[in-house]
Parts: sequence; C-alpha cells; structure tokens
Amino acid sequence: MRIACPFCGPRENGEFSYLGDAKPKRPGPDAGEEAVYDYVYLRDNVAGEMEEFWYHGGGCRSWLKVRRNTVTHEIFSVEAAAGAGAAKAAS
Amino acid sequence: MVELDWTATTPLSRIHVAGRHGAAQGAAGVTLAELSDFELVQVMARRGQWGAVAQACAEAYGKAAPARPQAVTAQGALLVWSGPDQFLILSPRGAAVEKARTSFSGMASLSEQSDGRSLIRISGFQARDLLAKVCSLDLHPAVFPVDAAAATSIDHTAVNLWRGEDSSGEAVFFLLVFATFAESLWRTMLDSGAEYGIAIDASGAWQP
Repeated sequence: MRIACPFCGPRENGEFSYLGDAKPKRPGPDAGEEAVYDYVYLRDNVAGEMEEFWYHGGGCRSWLKVRRNTVTHEIFSVEAAAGAGAAKAAS
Repeated sequence: MVELDWTATTPLSRIHVAGRHGAAQGAAGVTLAELSDFELVQVMARRGQWGAVAQACAEAYGKAAPARPQAVTAQGALLVWSGPDQFLILSPRGAAVEKARTSFSGMASLSEQSDGRSLIRISGFQARDLLAKVCSLDLHPAVFPVDAAAATSIDHTAVNLWRGEDSSGEAVFFLLVFATFAESLWRTMLDSGAEYGIAIDASGAWQP
C-alpha cells in the first residue's frame, strides 16, 4: 500500500503509522459518561470505506486524513489533518 | 579528583576508516564521506506565519524559504525543506544560530541541531544503485533532479536526503541523519555498497 502524502508525494506505508478512525469527536464537558465512554473505547470495525488518521513520522511528520477501503486498500483521498502543518489556520 | 578530558569527535569517528572498502578491483563505484563543522537550525513557522518566515528568509539569506521538497542554495547557507511550514538551515561553523535567531524572531520556533545530526555525502557512478537498496524513493534524474530534497526513512531511520550539484557528471547525494543512528546507517551502506567497491574519503568540513 502506498499513501500519497500531500507534502511529500507517494510513499510506502512503512513511513506512516496508523492512528485509526478519524470520525470520533471529543464530547463536550456536559455530554455525560456514556458519550465519553463511546469516544474513548468504542470503535466501528468497518469493512469498506472509512476515514482514518495516518502519521507521516518517517517523512514530513504531518498528520494526514486518509479515506480508504479497508477491504481492498484502495485510497480515495489524502489530505492534511486539521491543525497539521500547512493546514493550520492563522490565529 | 578525576580529571575529565573532553575531546570533540564526529558521530562516525569511532567506525570511520578512510580508504577502500568492499570489492577491491576496478574503480570504486561509490564514494562516501562524513562531513562535519556545520551548524544546523530547524526552523518551524508559527501558526499563520509562513509567509512572514519566507519573506524574512529572503531578506536574511537572499532566497525565500523552500515551500516544497527542495534544497535551495542561499547566501552562505543551504535551505533544506523538511516538511510543511518548516525547513533546515545548514551553514558552516560560525554565527549561524545567532543569525537565525535574529532573522526569525517572533515568527518561528527554532531548534539547534548542529551536533544532533550527521551529514554524509554519497557520490560515484553507482551511488544510486547503493541508495536503491536502502531507500524506497525513485532517485532517477527525471524525478529527483539536482536540488530535489525529501524527508524519508532509510534503514528504519528518518533522514533528510537531497541531491547536490553533480560532480564530474555524476549525481551527488547528501544524507542528514540523527547522530546516534549514523553508525548503524553507515554500516548498512558499507554492506549495501560492498559489491560496487567503496572509497571512503577522509572526514572534512561541509562547504555550501
């Protein structure tokens, strides 16, 4: 599997490390225990397309958001994760 | 009281042996050299400050900071892209750190890496054959021309790799690696290039 890093170009997957599902969002302070439990522990085991975080630690050290088919390893899109490198918004 | 005698050495000084290594017949296919006496500063633009950093770089070094994987020859320094909104300044020993500090004050975070990295020069007509064994990038001149740079992994170690000016019509590659990983990478390259015959130059100072 090769991932086309938006900053470096296509690279072998050995340069990346995998974080997992990019969907979970940290719940607000009033969301309750159930929502926090879900956010911390529960993950869907998707067979098909999903959005994932990958870290290009063996390259430009950017966090990437990759949309990938977990069955075929086909990659549909790769973009810089929000807050990473050039994707940072001006404060 | 024990008297401590500090001697400055280079990262490869324990295993570096100048001379011929590997296949002894014919011309050496690969020439390796450890380069020292440089100052290295990692520059990382602060949030939303990349434009200002590129501009400040143009004023201080005569060239804008590289925004894509490139090694840019500037005034008295080499500017090597190392990731989005960040690059390395490689200069001969001198006042490079102080110059970077004043040039990018308030707009970038700097980290001095002068003694944290080892710089290796790889040349010779079979340099690319050696690198092909350990590096997954395509280094053919059509896609990796002079001044191309990459942040990649070699031998499971993160490195900065770039191509310098050709020497005698042959490609010259430079490799910047963490000092404590340099011995391991050096040994890997000696093994990989043994079949081509390796000439190891005496260590010398890096020149822009």
